[in-house]
Amino acid sequence: MAVAVRRVLRASRSWRAALGGQERWRAETLRLICTTTAVQKRNVPASGPEKYTEAFIKKQIEEFNLGKRHLANMMGEDPETFTQEDIDKAIAYLFPSGLFEKRARPVMKHPNDIFPKQRAMQWGEDHRPFHFLFYTGKQSFYSLMHEIYGKMLDIQKYQDQLKAQDLDEKKQINLIGSRWLIKEELEEMLVEKLSDHDYSLCIRLLERLVTLPCCGIEEEYVLKFRKELDTQLKKVVIEPLQYDDQGVAFSTGEGKRKTSRATVIVYDNGNGKITVNGIDYLHYFPVIQDREQLMFPFQFLGRLGKHNMVCTVLGGGSSSQAGAIRLASARALCSFVTENEAEFMRQAGLLTYDPRNKERKKPGQEGARRKFTWKKR
Amino acid sequence: AVLNGIVRLSRALSSLDPGCFLQARAWLSAAANQGAQIPEERLRTIFRTHESNPANHSEQHEGQHYSIPLQEVKVVFPHGLPRRFQAQMKTFNEACLMVRRPALELLGYLKSTNFAHPAVRYIIYGEKGTGKTMTLCHAVHYCAKQDWLVLHIPDAHLWVKNRTELLPSSYHNERFDQPLEASTWLKNFKVSNERFLKEIKTQRTYVWSKRESTEMGSPLGEVVEQGVTRVKNASDAVGVVLKELKTQCPLGSFRLLVAVDGVNALWGRSTLRKKDKSAISPEELTLVHNLRKMVMNDWNGGAIVTTLSQTGSLFKPRSAYLPHELLGKEGFDTLDPFVPIQVPNYSQREFESCYQYYLDRKWLQHEKVGTEEGREELLFLSNSNPWQLERISASL
Repeated sequence: MAVAVRRVLRASRSWRAALGGQERWRAETLRLICTTTAVQKRNVPASGPEKYTEAFIKKQIEEFNLGKRHLANMMGEDPETFTQEDIDKAIAYLFPSGLFEKRARPVMKHPNDIFPKQRAMQWGEDHRPFHFLFYTGKQSFYSLMHEIYGKMLDIQKYQDQLKAQDLDEKKQINLIGSRWLIKEELEEMLVEKLSDHDYSLCIRLLERLVTLPCCGIEEEYVLKFRKELDTQLKKVVIEPLQYDDQGVAFSTGEGKRKTSRATVIVYDNGNGKITVNGIDYLHYFPVIQDREQLMFPFQFLGRLGKHNMVCTVLGGGSSSQAGAIRLASARALCSFVTENEAEFMRQAGLLTYDPRNKERKKPGQEGARRKFTWKKR
Repeated sequence: AVLNGIVRLSRALSSLDPGCFLQARAWLSAAANQGAQIPEERLRTIFRTHESNPANHSEQHEGQHYSIPLQEVKVVFPHGLPRRFQAQMKTFNEACLMVRRPALELLGYLKSTNFAHPAVRYIIYGEKGTGKTMTLCHAVHYCAKQDWLVLHIPDAHLWVKNRTELLPSSYHNERFDQPLEASTWLKNFKVSNERFLKEIKTQRTYVWSKRESTEMGSPLGEVVEQGVTRVKNASDAVGVVLKELKTQCPLGSFRLLVAVDGVNALWGRSTLRKKDKSAISPEELTLVHNLRKMVMNDWNGGAIVTTLSQTGSLFKPRSAYLPHELLGKEGFDTLDPFVPIQVPNYSQREFESCYQYYLDRKWLQHEKVGTEEGREELLFLSNSNPWQLERISASL
């Protein structure tokens, strides 16, 4: 490509030489912008994703570290203890962006996170591949399968040894609270594309390994392929109960749905009376569906006639107000209830904010989805 | 344990012999009243009583259903019962009314009326769907059993709505007649009070047209016939009947009960319009005019029981249920003084009774309805409002 550009320049110089010296420079630059080799050479095949050489990545890492220290200096922090979170905050402060897409905003991260992992050259100068399984096409995958099988044979040898010594130990791996890596994560680990069939084979082999009685030896190896599941409820804070003048326990909750905002106070030792904006719920919600929404949290916990509720709702229509009160009352009831029951409520979807909103109308269409009447001619 | 045996026996008998079953039930209820220790589940099964004469209803029957034989229903209530209740009657093949405290209160007052004093006015009021019309029907049944003359207007709102035919009145220049409504009412009135119509005689001659007239001293039934056959004169016939009854009641030969459902229609607004599209106020309607005179307390020898109703009312907000709100200033002043009777939602016991009745009639078909959770769900969704409960159970 560079050769072609030089050719063009020479061509320009030859017939522009007739022009004045000052103009020549401008004409050359003009020429450069106008004609590119992409226009001239038509049969260029599309190049694949850019290959980043190791030297390039190393250079990027050095630049990143230097830049990190500079940034720390700029923000007046200690360069030694400047974490990634601090970098993010600093960048958000220095380059405020109004873009909605978070991934389009300016970002400064370690090059390993930005540039995708790529394989180093698989063959040497004599063009012979390094790995013995290179010609299978999926070298990392097959080598992984061989490795896992090797581990299984080790475990069986160990078992036989124990049997020979008449000892009966069983070491199992604890798999609770974790899950196998999904296909995308495994691909990332091996830096190689996998098919669904290959992935299922790998997982089956690992499961088989785990069923062996003495697999505790290779626990470390197996846990590399497991990922922890964190229960979401640990992030939710449960407020303690409050007590009013007469000693009756109560708790507040807030909820919203679409455009409605609801605040709710749930009292203990009640008879099931519910007041919404000062009006009895039977008169405020004449539709049965709305009353069923109000009933859901109490019925789920089996506490239908035991609590009194006072609610205030603003905004929205009747259904969205009912949904908002439901969320608020579920959140308030969390304080009355054990942690397990709260987890059940979360799994039932009572504590999740409903993100559905009115979809925007698009230009060229009559509504959000409805197109204009299609006329054949 | 003995009582358990009795209950099991009664249940076994119920499938064979209804009469015996009712006796067993009576014994059970009697045993309950003696203060025997019955566990709560058995108390719940006492939701019926066999006392079908309202005169004998007292607090011990509170919350229980009593049934009226269908033949009696046809005579006493040709046009009084709410539409949904009539449908329920047809489905269950029996008419069961619940005895409730407001009705007992009203019956108590009616039993102790002094017929020398001017007629006392009772206004039954309450939120929507709490059972005001049913209380009125209970009172009407009692009076019919006690052999009073019952003047039952099923829904006064029907007389100020639904433009069908409006004739200018022949009797009075500025008023309007409603022939259709008047004739239907006269037909039903005839069914319920046949006996009296033969006994009471008119005190004046009434000339209907050039060729037709009713002589003095002829039975009132003739006036009614005239109204039914000559539909044009129906409203005037109604007016005549009302006037006659009002003048003759103080003489003491019979007792008169004026039962009006939706009395707030008489002083509200109407949706009827004249030919030039100007609104008609209720006093310009003959029927309403005569009925207003009837509801005044300037006669004695009977009682006036009325109900306020928001359901059929015109131009009134849904949340209005108090007398002052629904009657307006004019109506309130006219009806003042009156005895107010409030009808609340079901109490715990009444709700339980209604629930058991529906279960017994196999009206609630959902699989989970018999459980405690199903009952609590019904209680919550209806908030013990009888109308809501009936609507919800209809769809189950």
